[in-house]
Amino acid sequence: MMKRNGTGWLFASPYLLYAVLFFAIPLIWSMYLSFTDWNLISPVYYFKGFDNFIEAVKHPGVQAAFFVTFKFMAAFVPMVIVSSLAVALVIHGLPKFKGLFLIGFFLPYLASGVVSSLIVKGLLSHNSAFNVFLRKFGIEIDWLSTPLSALLVVAAIIAWKFTGYYALILTAGFESINKDVYEAAAIDGVTPSQSFWKITLPLLYPAIFTVLILSIGVSFGIFTEVYQLTGGGPNYATNTWQMEIFKQAFTNLSAGYASAVAIIASVVTFASILVIRKLLEMWGKRNGWV
Amino acid sequence: MVGSKKGLTLRYLIAFALLIVMVFPYLYMVMNSFADWTQVDKKVVPTEFTMRSYEWLFSGGEAGIARPWLKAFLNSVIVSTASTALMMVTGAMVAFALAKMNFKGRDFINNAVLFQMFFPAIILLIPTFLIIQNAGLYDTYTAMILPKAMSLWAVFMYTNFFRAIPDTFIEAAKLDGASNFQILYKIVMPMSKSITTVVFLFLFMERWTELLWDMIVVRSDSMLTLNVLLSQMFGPYGGYPGPMYAASVLLTVPIIILFLFFSKQFKEGMQFTLK
Repeated sequence: MMKRNGTGWLFASPYLLYAVLFFAIPLIWSMYLSFTDWNLISPVYYFKGFDNFIEAVKHPGVQAAFFVTFKFMAAFVPMVIVSSLAVALVIHGLPKFKGLFLIGFFLPYLASGVVSSLIVKGLLSHNSAFNVFLRKFGIEIDWLSTPLSALLVVAAIIAWKFTGYYALILTAGFESINKDVYEAAAIDGVTPSQSFWKITLPLLYPAIFTVLILSIGVSFGIFTEVYQLTGGGPNYATNTWQMEIFKQAFTNLSAGYASAVAIIASVVTFASILVIRKLLEMWGKRNGWV
Repeated sequence: MVGSKKGLTLRYLIAFALLIVMVFPYLYMVMNSFADWTQVDKKVVPTEFTMRSYEWLFSGGEAGIARPWLKAFLNSVIVSTASTALMMVTGAMVAFALAKMNFKGRDFINNAVLFQMFFPAIILLIPTFLIIQNAGLYDTYTAMILPKAMSLWAVFMYTNFFRAIPDTFIEAAKLDGASNFQILYKIVMPMSKSITTVVFLFLFMERWTELLWDMIVVRSDSMLTLNVLLSQMFGPYGGYPGPMYAASVLLTVPIIILFLFFSKQFKEGMQFTLK
């Protein structure tokens, strides 16, 4: 028995090492730093109690990060649900080329956020074919300098990336639905649109739930696209938590203050996901979908 | 809509149209990387082509100072390969312990993995950077590899897969005198090829496109990964759209080739993953 315990721990040892070195120690260090005014370089620093936290809550960058995350979620989650649902709806159960579609729709997931941002930057540059076309109809938008459109553009880039991946999850959900249900419904005279809303969607809810949870998680971790395209602007309109923490820690070198912001960000993220998850579960239960 | 022949044709038409829309950004990138500079971004489909963007990239343009694209490509290959290999080895090891070994503390470790997996990682960014800096690893490959030598997601995926492997295989091997390492390496891993492909592709892709971490732990030009170099070179005010697309092609094409190469196993592996 001793020996077996030993090998178990031996196999698990990479995790233990990793958890101590890159989880436990950083976690404690982060809390310690958050009470100091350390600037990442100077050997001298002072304790400030909760000053960093108070300062952070009043800071427009932090306040923006809080609201931008939810605004981003409000744009991104519906976008990606509709697009991945559309793809899954079209490709599920196709007799031929299904492999081609699964692979093809997955390709955007491989894109670096830097690359997709640069492509969009080109597509939306002032004299691009797209903008010239819009100008013919008198539509002139400076996409990345307008707060609302900047947020929507970032949301669209990320929705593009995740659509194929989520469509795979939904396709698997579609294919697990027993086809007899539809035949029975057809005999009872149920119209196609009724059968979509009353049969397909409820039976698909477990897969939709997974996609909802995943996409909500994504909403709290946006950095690359924002860093590359807007730097958090215009006027904090796309300032995500990661962007704010990066700026404070590695541009302004306020490591102590940035640690406090990171703790706030983590608490907000953890609590929000928990609450949203609970609400979704309750909503699903009330409708009898789970 | 479900069964009829007409409905099926319509669905294929919509599916192909959607597919073209989804891969259009890639097509746009490739076309513009070869487009004549007067046409870059000016035409949806360029009509005149040139290699000038790629030449500019490797010659350094008017200034004649070429950025280290090939070195950056090599850096990305080294970092992504080493990091992914470590994540897979450690992932499979820990998962084997969690799924197939009975020992005191297993449930505790299992819960710790799940807890850490859903813990917001942003809180760890600054102190992890400080650990690397204090260890004298700033501006090295190790700085980019070590904190990404383990993936909890990989542990999670492998654990789920290993649990589905019948214990009889493992007990039979034990009776033959095989050690745990031998069982993992010679019996369990060969049975896990499809899931291994999925885990490998996801991890490699994620590592290949990492920006934030690789950007903060590296300073010298010769150490930058391709993704970081691309990001720095074509920031918010960068001109030269042609070379921007050419560099994007350099970053994107290898990962797509890798993915297409493993696409058959990927499809099989996803079937398990999605259950």
